[in-house]
Amino acid sequence: MASTFRMQLVLDPDMICCVTGEPSLTELDDIEALDRVYRARLLRFVAYSTGDQDLAETIVQDCLLKAYNARDSFRGDCAVYTWLAHIATNLVRDRQRTRKFQFWRRIQRTAPDLSELSSLLPSGESSPESQILARERAQQVSAALEALSSNQRTIFLMRFIEEMELQEICQATGMQISTVKTHLHRAVKAVRLKLGGKI
Amino acid sequence: MESNRENRQSHLTHLTDAQFGDLLLGTASAAAKAHLEACAQCSEEADRVSGAIGSFEQQSLLWAERRAASRPLLAPHRQPVLSWLHIPANPQAWTAAVLAIALAAGIGVAVRNDISARKDHLQAMQPQLAEVQPAPSVSPSTLKADNELLSAIDGELRADTSTPVAMYGLTATSRSARARAPKRIAN
Repeated sequence: MASTFRMQLVLDPDMICCVTGEPSLTELDDIEALDRVYRARLLRFVAYSTGDQDLAETIVQDCLLKAYNARDSFRGDCAVYTWLAHIATNLVRDRQRTRKFQFWRRIQRTAPDLSELSSLLPSGESSPESQILARERAQQVSAALEALSSNQRTIFLMRFIEEMELQEICQATGMQISTVKTHLHRAVKAVRLKLGGKI
Repeated sequence: MESNRENRQSHLTHLTDAQFGDLLLGTASAAAKAHLEACAQCSEEADRVSGAIGSFEQQSLLWAERRAASRPLLAPHRQPVLSWLHIPANPQAWTAAVLAIALAAGIGVAVRNDISARKDHLQAMQPQLAEVQPAPSVSPSTLKADNELLSAIDGELRADTSTPVAMYGLTATSRSARARAPKRIAN
């Protein structure tokens, strides 16, 4: 089964494009595929960046449409997801600058609620106790993220949740690598403290 | 073995924030890695923090996948804001558009010519219209006869005071008149 799957990967032209780092033109030309592949990841990134899942829905929608409409300008210098994250980051910044956003953020927020997932815990945890512990720790990370600054949170999410390389984060945010590292270290310190670490 | 490890720990300081951050980023120095192997406390903490981030990564992805699945996929093509300006791609559509424009322009020119022709015609008719006299009014004798007839009708209507009570020969009496009338005594 594994060998069959590997053979399919090699023969699939889209996968070859991904492996070689070339832009997957088919992927960008097909907005449904773009939506299917990247919507969930983008939604997670934007939802935790803004702390508002309803706003995240709107931003992700705009992001995918922008990417699709501007697909000719994608040169393939980076991965498709890095490019999408760059667009999403700019959209989030635009929204956060508006006074209306700041007002509604104070009044009402619909932050993602991980406790909804009690029945959907990952199967990697063996016992119920381990699952509960994993959920508690995840909620602690979530709470720690809320206390971070916008830049720290975005960069932390990009590095540890989206598993982007530092260079990709620089491309997506337009920051210097030293700035990215500084934000990351501060974010890690805050998360470590929240998890009961000894500083 | 265990006591040896504890002895080594006592000589070491724990990882700094920067070293810990580098460790999570995968850019830890050799010294930091060596300390991690020797120090159970730092090792346990690194495992706990990275495990928590991993749990958060998994659970947040599950949340996002479920949320994304509950929404419809994007439409293949977004409706442009000015849809009537949508440029056709095939040559037949272009031909049809050109013919439609030509037809509209032709109709416009024809209507314009027709309007200007009507204006010219009206201008030519203007002197003749100015000469036309109004129709002669009603003669004074007819007017006088009509007025007399109307006065006569009005006089007759005013003189007619007949009421439905009078038509049937009834006499209207009031309650006080009935009270004053002598009472009929029955035999």
